[in-house]
Amino acid sequence: MINFEYVKANSAQSASEARIKNGASQFIAGGTNLVDLMKKGITAPERLIDINALPLKEISLTPKGLSIGALVPNSVAADHETVKTKYPLLAMALNAGASAQLRNMATVGGNIMQRTRCSYFYDTTMPCNKRNPGTGCSAVEGYNRMHAIFGASEQCIAVHPSDMCVALAALNATVQVSGTKGTRKIPFADFHRLPADTPQLDTNLQVGELITAVSIPAHSFNKAYYLKVRDRLSYAFALVSVAVALDVKDGMIRSAAIAMGGVAHKPWRLYEVEEFVTGKPISKELFTEAASIAMTGAKTYTHNQYKIKLGKAAIIEALTKASS
Amino acid sequence: MHMEEQHHCPRESRRSFLKQSTALAALATASPLLVKAAENEEKINAYFEKVPLQLEINGQLQNLSVEPRVTLLDLLREQLGLTGTKKGCDHGQCGCCTVHVDGKRINSCLSLAVMNQGKKITTIEGLANGEQLHPMQEAFMKHDGFQCGYCTPGQIMSAIGCIREGHANSAEDIREYMSGNICRCGAYPNIVDAIMEVKQGGQKV
Amino acid sequence: MDKNNLYNIPPFADDDRVDGLAKVTGKAKFTAEHQLPGLVYGVFVCSTIAKGVIKNMYLAAAKNAAGVIDIIYYLNCPAVPGYKPADRTKNPNARDYTGHKVFFNNLVLSNGQPIALVVADTFERAVHAASLVRVEYDKEVPETDFEKNKFNGKLLKNRGEFLRNEKDAWKNAAVKLEQEYTIPIETHNPMEMHATTAVWEGDNKLTVYDKSQGPKGVQGELARMFELEEKNVKVITEFVGGAFGSGLRSWPHVHAAVIAARKLKRPVKLTLNREQMFTMVGYRPYSWQKIGIGASKEGKLYGITHQAVSNTSVYEDFAEGIVNVSQFLYDCPNVNTDYKILPLHINTPTWMRGPGPASGCFGLESALDELSYQLNIDPIELRIINNAEVHPQSKLPWTTKYLKECYALGREKIGWSNRPSVPGSLKEDGMLVGYGMAVGVFGAGRGGATAKGILKQDGSLLLQSAVSDMGPGTSTAMVKIGSEQMGLDDNKVRFELGDTDFPSGPTQGGSGSATTVGTAVMAVCDALKQSLKEMAIENIAAFKNLKPEDISYENGKLVAATDASAAIHFTDLLKQSSKPELQVSKTSTGFAQRDKYVANSFSVHFVKLHVHPVTGVIKLKHIVSVADAGKIISEKTARSQMVGGAVGGIGMAMTEETLMDHRYGRYINSNFVDYHVPVHADVPPVDVLFVNKPDNIISPTGAKGIGEIALVGVAPAITNAVYNATGKRIRQLPVTPDQLIG
Repeated sequence: MINFEYVKANSAQSASEARIKNGASQFIAGGTNLVDLMKKGITAPERLIDINALPLKEISLTPKGLSIGALVPNSVAADHETVKTKYPLLAMALNAGASAQLRNMATVGGNIMQRTRCSYFYDTTMPCNKRNPGTGCSAVEGYNRMHAIFGASEQCIAVHPSDMCVALAALNATVQVSGTKGTRKIPFADFHRLPADTPQLDTNLQVGELITAVSIPAHSFNKAYYLKVRDRLSYAFALVSVAVALDVKDGMIRSAAIAMGGVAHKPWRLYEVEEFVTGKPISKELFTEAASIAMTGAKTYTHNQYKIKLGKAAIIEALTKASS
Repeated sequence: MHMEEQHHCPRESRRSFLKQSTALAALATASPLLVKAAENEEKINAYFEKVPLQLEINGQLQNLSVEPRVTLLDLLREQLGLTGTKKGCDHGQCGCCTVHVDGKRINSCLSLAVMNQGKKITTIEGLANGEQLHPMQEAFMKHDGFQCGYCTPGQIMSAIGCIREGHANSAEDIREYMSGNICRCGAYPNIVDAIMEVKQGGQKV
Repeated sequence: MDKNNLYNIPPFADDDRVDGLAKVTGKAKFTAEHQLPGLVYGVFVCSTIAKGVIKNMYLAAAKNAAGVIDIIYYLNCPAVPGYKPADRTKNPNARDYTGHKVFFNNLVLSNGQPIALVVADTFERAVHAASLVRVEYDKEVPETDFEKNKFNGKLLKNRGEFLRNEKDAWKNAAVKLEQEYTIPIETHNPMEMHATTAVWEGDNKLTVYDKSQGPKGVQGELARMFELEEKNVKVITEFVGGAFGSGLRSWPHVHAAVIAARKLKRPVKLTLNREQMFTMVGYRPYSWQKIGIGASKEGKLYGITHQAVSNTSVYEDFAEGIVNVSQFLYDCPNVNTDYKILPLHINTPTWMRGPGPASGCFGLESALDELSYQLNIDPIELRIINNAEVHPQSKLPWTTKYLKECYALGREKIGWSNRPSVPGSLKEDGMLVGYGMAVGVFGAGRGGATAKGILKQDGSLLLQSAVSDMGPGTSTAMVKIGSEQMGLDDNKVRFELGDTDFPSGPTQGGSGSATTVGTAVMAVCDALKQSLKEMAIENIAAFKNLKPEDISYENGKLVAATDASAAIHFTDLLKQSSKPELQVSKTSTGFAQRDKYVANSFSVHFVKLHVHPVTGVIKLKHIVSVADAGKIISEKTARSQMVGGAVGGIGMAMTEETLMDHRYGRYINSNFVDYHVPVHADVPPVDVLFVNKPDNIISPTGAKGIGEIALVGVAPAITNAVYNATGKRIRQLPVTPDQLIG
């Protein structure tokens, strides 16, 4: 790791200005992902701008919805009474990620910004378009058991590693950002990018823009479940995960929000499935059909063919658990 | 084999060596000077690269000077001789380096020391009260919550965090919330027993 | 070094680990934690190709980086005398050094091979400078793919083939099957990463702090490598943070630290990082097995054919007895086995917990389970039907064998009667329920060792031997033996280890520490008692006319057999004899009755698990491990060893697999995110039961050894339970959810 320069920001504005002034600088909050990437030599910022002193640590509930400051640690959000009772899907997803220690360090903003865990991205000796554009994607013809089945390109088949983001995607969250030119709101679905020809770009954030909060609208879901299937029972990234929120009355699904993790370069919202189940009575057959719809258009590689079968199974199980 | 000089690492040559002036200042006053440092200036450069840091470690105030890249873990182990905190992976993947920062368990390998300015750090060495062991230390001995002992400080610090956070209400709960601490000797069931006992004993941790 | 204050600190409760206090307070000093004046840090630069030649190394940027002291690589590395071909004129049996010769030449033989050592004044600076070294290679195409090459293995001279009676006789049996079983590379991954700190005094005296299972082994090797007298090489392995086999031999980093410290004339500390733990300190080799097995309709085995291939490196032959279990574990008239090794461009594997049988039992115990369903005979009954009363080949008896007792204890504890005889037919809370069992076995025995005992006026006994304790609790067991023999409170006995200045002890491995060192400790205690008796006769009036055999030793007291009133405690005896202490060293020899007996420890593991009927996720519910390990010397630590073995077996069965991308010949999961070892959430309650009957033939300690049988057999017990739950037979480890969906 180079011996970077370390500065502390005292306002979002000054942080953004500093970020723009030095193109080789990066924001640091919890550091759980960035410090790891720096140790591996995947990124080597000359300057770190520590944003931890910024006043972005509030969780507040209004009639419009929930707002979580970007610097709220994952564990604080997960254990927050309002989050647990009004947005249990988010609490479940948060607790499915990483470890208790990491959740104490990692922030909500940082979680949204975390980079893929693709093995080839992490090994600086191997070609990777995301880390080193133009070098090729090692995963396409390599070991790709963990990789994407939706929305990938031949340039990159990495998946987004976050659990929290899968829940946020399902819950129609909005990411609030601030930059030198002011603030803007980015719908969650538009925040992360698909790889296409620019896999080096994970998000649509502009240089200098800083996440200040994430807001989740008020909703009518009365059932929720986050299912994560992984290679061990905790502290592992998802093979596939499913976030389900349902509004169920008298055995009828009045509305649904469903998203998947571990299948794409961004949290994968299942709009067609939501539409399909809405207005229908809960049944095993419904969920089985919903799972088939979810997997339509999936493209697999040598080692991740199982994700279609597992994806379907996970959707059926998550819907079953949520609705029971 | 030829050994000529090669400037193949551009990020090195872009670096400023006048860094100390900006180290802890607010950004508005950050130095605009970015002086190109040639590779052979690196050694001089390094002299300026340390920044002052004040931490309270196990109740003792420490005035230190560290490079920003030094992690809290390496500061403890290599500079302060507090080797009770262990390095098992250096990437936040095993929990051996767990310490408390302002009472919360974290992975010290992923925490830059400079980011802990003014904070209270508790390591395994700061847990006992003189000769009086912390209840969790006693419980680990009683239940043989270890074999080789290398992951043990991290397990103990994490176990205390687990109870403080309210996630030690059942064996299943403990297993989930302790899963960030890997024990390759496989003392897990004994560790769970130790935590259950401390939790049920109701002592303040 | 103020070692005496750091471990083995009383007080401890009756059954506590004697070094527990040091471990829970953070005072235990592991290898990389000895801070020495002038210490500098070495960090490896490693090859990024698996085969080829180093063409150019660009070192300027690294050399100019802050704090860099030196960069050692093949062009400037001082010659290591021990790397020369052995001189057989003096010793016709002298062998060439076969391990990887660090910085010896420009050849790359595996990916992750150390090719340079950057030494700097701080850890961060060394790491950074190492990242600045650029290397150009002439690449060649490596061969790393086991599956592609598994039929190209080579037989080892004199140990590859075995035949008892008829070859492939299983084919003629009434009920038979033939199946293949595959185990991927598994990596030891102890939590403490390997490290070495080397300190030279002049050119002839070397002190090394090393993470090793055998300080004497390291001492011997370094003496040979650097042409030193053994007495001038001091090796300290005070606390070892796990090893599981990775510390059984010295690796390139040990040599590199010694080379650098000599070149720079200052202490050098070299710690591997987690990635390097996958490429430099061994692993359990990839293995493929094929088993043909046949029995009568009543379940009597008729024939077993067991073949195996496992990988090695291109520069060393590493073999382990994978197929041996089929030769003796069950009574079977016709057995043939063959075993080959396959050289690949990967670093050399090494023994990993339960080496040989851990892999072999996955094959054999899975095949037996499969056979039991074909026969419709309970798997425990099938094993009892075929129990070997004597060794089927040599016809020798076992020293002790209580395998049948293990079955009885375990089947009761796990609730075997609830096991469904039809796979997939039992559900509990919506989950598929499965029960499985398998046998574990490992050689028992004892080697030679020397121990020293120092009995003091304050009533304490200090024992010493140059062995390591990587976690099983050797010091605790030795304290138990010493206190029992001398009739002392445990708190009065200390056992010091981990230092070559102590009398020679064995390398810790193969489950032999308790019997080997324990026997030496018992010999020391016997000698101490004898000396005390002689001392009493010489110095104490009441004993004057007695012979040693007329005096008994009871709980620290010497008592005349003829006159119980003539008694004296050894502390008073030492005082009255004006002796501050009594010191003896004793050497015990190895197990000498191999021509009369076969010696093994046995285990039987029982598993109950749930499989999610939709997602295929396995949840272990209960493990019962039963051991026939002889007398249990320290129950608490012995139990922990068994629990730990079960956890290791969970990893082997369900999570562990070191993966390589053969295009690059490079591992792609050499970290704890992608190489999954079990975490708390994976591990269910584990019950441990010991038969606890002494084996006094192997050694007077009564012990047989626990470390290996704790793990051997756990993996097939789990996959057998998976079959019982789902009807899906797992023949390739590890079993992950995607294999069991729906």
